[in-house]
Order: sequence, then structure tokens, then C-alpha cells
Amino acid sequence: MRMLVTGAGGFLGHQIVSQLLVRGHSVRAMVRPASPEPHWGRDVEIFRADMRVSDNLTAAFENIDAVMHVAAATSGSEDIQFASSVVATERFLEAMSNSSVKRLVHVSSLVVYDWESAVGVLDEDTPLLKNPFDMGAYTIAKLWQERVIKKYAQAHDLGLTIMRPGFIWGPNHAKIAGMGRQFGRFYLLFGPFTRLPLSHVFNCANCLVAAAESSVAIGQTFNVIDSDDICVWRYVGEYARRTGQRGFRLPIPYSVGYNIARLALRTSRLLYGNKGKLPSLLTPRRFESQFKPVPFSTKKLTEVLTWRPPLSFAECLDLTYGPKG
Amino acid sequence: MSKKTNVLIGCGAIAREHLAILARLDVDILGVCDLSAARAEATAERFRVAKWYIDYQTMLTETKPDLVHITTPPSSHFQIAKNCLSAGLNVLCEKPITVEYRDFLHLRQLAEYNRCILIENQNLRFHSSIRRINDLLSRGEFGDLLDVHIAFSLNLLGKDSPYVDPNAPHFGVTLRGGVIGDFLPHIAYLASMYVGPVIDLRTIWMKRSNAAVPFADEFRGFIKGERASATVSFSANSLNAGYWIRVVGTKMYAETNLLDPPRIAFRRHRGGEQALANLKDGVVEAYDVFKGTLAAFSRKLGGTSSYDGLQEMFVRIYAALERQEALPLSLDDIDATARLVDQFTSSDKSL
Repeated sequence: MRMLVTGAGGFLGHQIVSQLLVRGHSVRAMVRPASPEPHWGRDVEIFRADMRVSDNLTAAFENIDAVMHVAAATSGSEDIQFASSVVATERFLEAMSNSSVKRLVHVSSLVVYDWESAVGVLDEDTPLLKNPFDMGAYTIAKLWQERVIKKYAQAHDLGLTIMRPGFIWGPNHAKIAGMGRQFGRFYLLFGPFTRLPLSHVFNCANCLVAAAESSVAIGQTFNVIDSDDICVWRYVGEYARRTGQRGFRLPIPYSVGYNIARLALRTSRLLYGNKGKLPSLLTPRRFESQFKPVPFSTKKLTEVLTWRPPLSFAECLDLTYGPKG
Repeated sequence: MSKKTNVLIGCGAIAREHLAILARLDVDILGVCDLSAARAEATAERFRVAKWYIDYQTMLTETKPDLVHITTPPSSHFQIAKNCLSAGLNVLCEKPITVEYRDFLHLRQLAEYNRCILIENQNLRFHSSIRRINDLLSRGEFGDLLDVHIAFSLNLLGKDSPYVDPNAPHFGVTLRGGVIGDFLPHIAYLASMYVGPVIDLRTIWMKRSNAAVPFADEFRGFIKGERASATVSFSANSLNAGYWIRVVGTKMYAETNLLDPPRIAFRRHRGGEQALANLKDGVVEAYDVFKGTLAAFSRKLGGTSSYDGLQEMFVRIYAALERQEALPLSLDDIDATARLVDQFTSSDKSL
């Protein structure tokens, strides 16, 4: 296939391009004008554009069979993230509507779910957030990005696959929100035995490529996680040991952290009404979306997409930190 | 009497500040508009506004509001405001009201001809600390006003700053004075409020950093006004954000950071032994700072907008609209601001 990958200069996008090449696809990689020159060489056609402002987006779709839409902001203010993830996607889709491309794989995130209503297991049937505006900038942007894409797909009869990865980790990106918080040499673990929805960047890219290649994935949504076997305690232990940032792991039961957040919210409401502002750790809904001890299902991935992660957790650790010395 | 109505054009960060305040006032927000449908829809959903648009002309025709809030990037202000005023609609525009002073004069003429309201967001005039200082000034507590120091510093050049995004140039690039131009109206109206009509002005524009921006990142200005003098500055390099104001009178001075209200420190002239007076001043100042810092922290927890003064300004504007009274800000005030900004940026020979 001839694939267009947006956000190709990013952590995940870069890995996707590499794996598409391995699978024999031809790739056009969209990277921002000021991004460093990627190292794929002549195998990849580089398309320089910033979806927020570039006027030449239509040309990106020429001779393309399918699009892997990865581009999104992961940091910055709410305004910056909304512009980079949502408004940019709107412009991108508008350009796409002038092309004949009818296949799109969109990389979303588990943050779009309403974690409060995830009872028993979090899977593709878990309801999505209805009101994201008291969540973080990333959540707001990812939810609206999905909304925009779904609306477009419906209007243009698009073959859409939505992929929602969990915590994507890998070389130079091993620190994830689910770890808790690090204060100097202390690691505060909220729910030390909570299972993490990990998706190593290699496995994640592999899964996304598999979805792009699969006809059964069209019209489907998949949560992308390797497994939920790894708990916070172990992940942080490996992180501390392998990065050399050794310290003390302080386990705090999830219920304790969550109830502190609830108490903080009640106090804030009492003092300031609905106007009060609290950090994410003290906002129950945001606390839940980072630490809620809920099992994650890989059933749909394995049964519908017949995908299993090619690398084990041990192999992912070696790939991320180097072989265990 | 029916509630006053409004619409808002441009749904970026400053629009949220407008809408959060409007949601608390007794007014009807009839619609919001943005070129991005998603941004318009998201804004409408968030603030429970009934309708959203991607074409402001359609919105204006359908809604016929009492006041149009323009919160788009500055380069679009002139055309949108011109269209609103031509249609006989009142306008509240974000700063800078226009990029060029001559464009403001055109809008002013149009507003006067069509008997429409034209007002610029000059929220810091209504900032709680500024109001407190002005109250003391009017009661003669400061003695004669001598000098005002206005020193703004924001790190606009740091990593991830939208002001230096090489992929999507910030709207500030289109302003005279570059990104600093986005803040010059604040400096201009505060200075103008205290010093009165400008008699003489000197400026220094410098480029200190190696950031890939084609404009100055440091600005200094010295103003001789009819009532007092002012020293103004903006630093885009400082890591410490602050909108520091120091008002100096013959009997007292006050110092405050407008980003951290209600913290404010006063020092009064005291007779008697100088050493004891200094000690007393120090204790009073420390207490003021401590008390103000705690209150400032509480305000942040309480979700009080960092745009102090905006609510007060809106309350006064809508009250004036309701009672058909004089606005809290005249066209002459806005003219003086736009003219001073023009003077700041026309005298950048030292760049």
C-alpha cells in the first residue's frame, strides 16, 4: 500500500514509518517544516507541512491508498493542543475530501473513555466522556479530534479504524502518567498493584500497521495495549533500576488517593463553589483516568484483528533501556 | 427590560475568559463563531451557548446582538469591527484594537457616524489593585503624582512558546513591535491613565536572545506626560513573569504585581526618626505582602481568572448599555492608547 503518515516525526509516528517500510509499504511521511531531517533516507518521501497552517495539504494525498493519522500535540496549553490536534485535523480532512483516499486509521487514546463508568473491565464498549471540559488539555483535544474524524468519516463514507492506545512507552519515553509521581528520590505509587494499560511503541506501531492492512478493521475501534499483566510497582521498579534513578517506592492505596481527591473537591466546592481549581491529582475524575485499578481487555484485538504483541515485556524493557546489565 | 444580548467572534483562549465572565452576568450569549467548526462547537457546548457559526456575517444577521465581542487575532480586528459598525452593531474588541493607528481612526469615525459603541478590552484599568491605587490617589493619599514604573516581563521565547513556533507563526509576528506588540496596549493605557497627554517620548528596542524571531525582545520607554512621567518596559527573556506597577507620589508609593492580586505594598512618608520609620515601614510592608500572597493563593485555588479587571469592565459596560449611560472607557481613552502604541513602535530607531 501507499501510506501517508501524519505526525511522522514524532515518537510513535517515526516507529510506524519504520514498520511500514519493513512490511513493504511505500510511505509518504508528513513532518513539520522545522522538524529535523528524518533518517529514513530515500525509502520514504518526506512531505513538509504543518496541518495548522499549510496551504498545500491536498498534495499530500496524491497517489495514496490509506492514511495513518498520528499527528497530535501531547503538551502545551489547552488552546495549543486543541489547535494542533483538532483544528489541524479539520484542515487535514478538508484537504482529504478533495482526494480519492477513502481509508483512514486514526490514532486516538484511552483517555477518551469515561473512566468513572468503567466497571469490571475497560474495553471498547466503555462509554466515552460526555463532558471533557474539566479534564486535562490532552483529553479535551483527543476527544474532539475523534468526534471530528467520526463526523467526517460518516459524511464521506470513509473506511475508518480508530485505534486507542494506552500508555505508549519506549526509548526516551519511559516515564508515563500511570507511574504516579516522583518527588526527588521518592516514587508515590497510587495503587501499587494497579495493572497498567501499557503499549510499547514497537508493539503499538506493529498493531497500527496490522490494522491498516486489515479489511476487518474497517469500521472498528480497538484499544491498543500489549497486556495488562504489568503492575505499577513492577514498572516503576524497572524504571528506577534501569534509568539509575533509584529511590523509594511509596505505595498509596488507590482508595486513599481517590478519597483525598474527593475530599479536596468537596472542600473546594464548599469554599469556592464550582469555580474552584485543583491540580489533576486532586481532581477525582482526572485521578481516575490515570490510576483507576481496572482490568483492560485485549479480547477484541486478539479475536477480531488476530493481533498479538510481537515483543514481550522483557524484550520491550531491553529495547527501551538497553540489555539488562 | 429584556436582557442585553451578545455574540462572540473568535473562540481562542481569550474568548474563554470573556465567556466565563459573561456566563456569570445577566446577559444572553446568542452565538459564538470561529473559522474552525470544531472550535466553535466545542466552545458553544462548554458554555452552553445555543448556536455556533463558522461565518460571522451569518451570525450577526441572524442574531442582531446588543454587543459583539471580537476575540480574533489582531490582524482581523479592523475588518470585522468595520463590518459590525457598518451594520450598526456595538463592538467590544480585544487589544490591540487595530494593528495600525490610522485603522483605529477609521473605526472611530464609523462608530461616531453610526452612533455605535466601540470599546477596546483594557481590563487592567479595572484591575482590583489598580482600582485600589487609584482610589488612594483620588483621596490625595499619594500627594502629588510624580512617576509611574510599568515593567512587564514574560518568557515568550522559551521552548514550546507559541510566540516562537517556527512551524506556525504567532499572530504577534504581524504586529508592530513583534510579539511585544501584543502587550503594548496594556502598557500604553496604564501609562496614559497616569501621565495624561504625552509631551515627549523616548524608546529603546533591543534584541537580546538568539531566538529565531525577526523582532526585538526587549523594550524600554520613557514618557514625559502632562501630569507625571513614566518608565515602561517589556522583557520577553525574563523567566519571572510579572506585570509590575509602581506608582510614586510625593507622600507615598505603591508597588504591585498585577499577575498576583491582591498583593500590594505601600510605603508612606513618616515623620520622626528615619530608622524607626524604616522599621515600621518594613513591618507593614512585610505584613501587606504576606496577607496579599495568601489571598492571591486562595484566589488561584478559587479559580479566579488571571484576567483581573475583565469582569469589572464587563459589568460596567453592560450596566452602561442597560442604562444608556456613558461607557467606562471613552473613544478618547482608546485613541490615546492606540496613539501611544503607534508612538512606541514608530520610534524604534535603536533597534
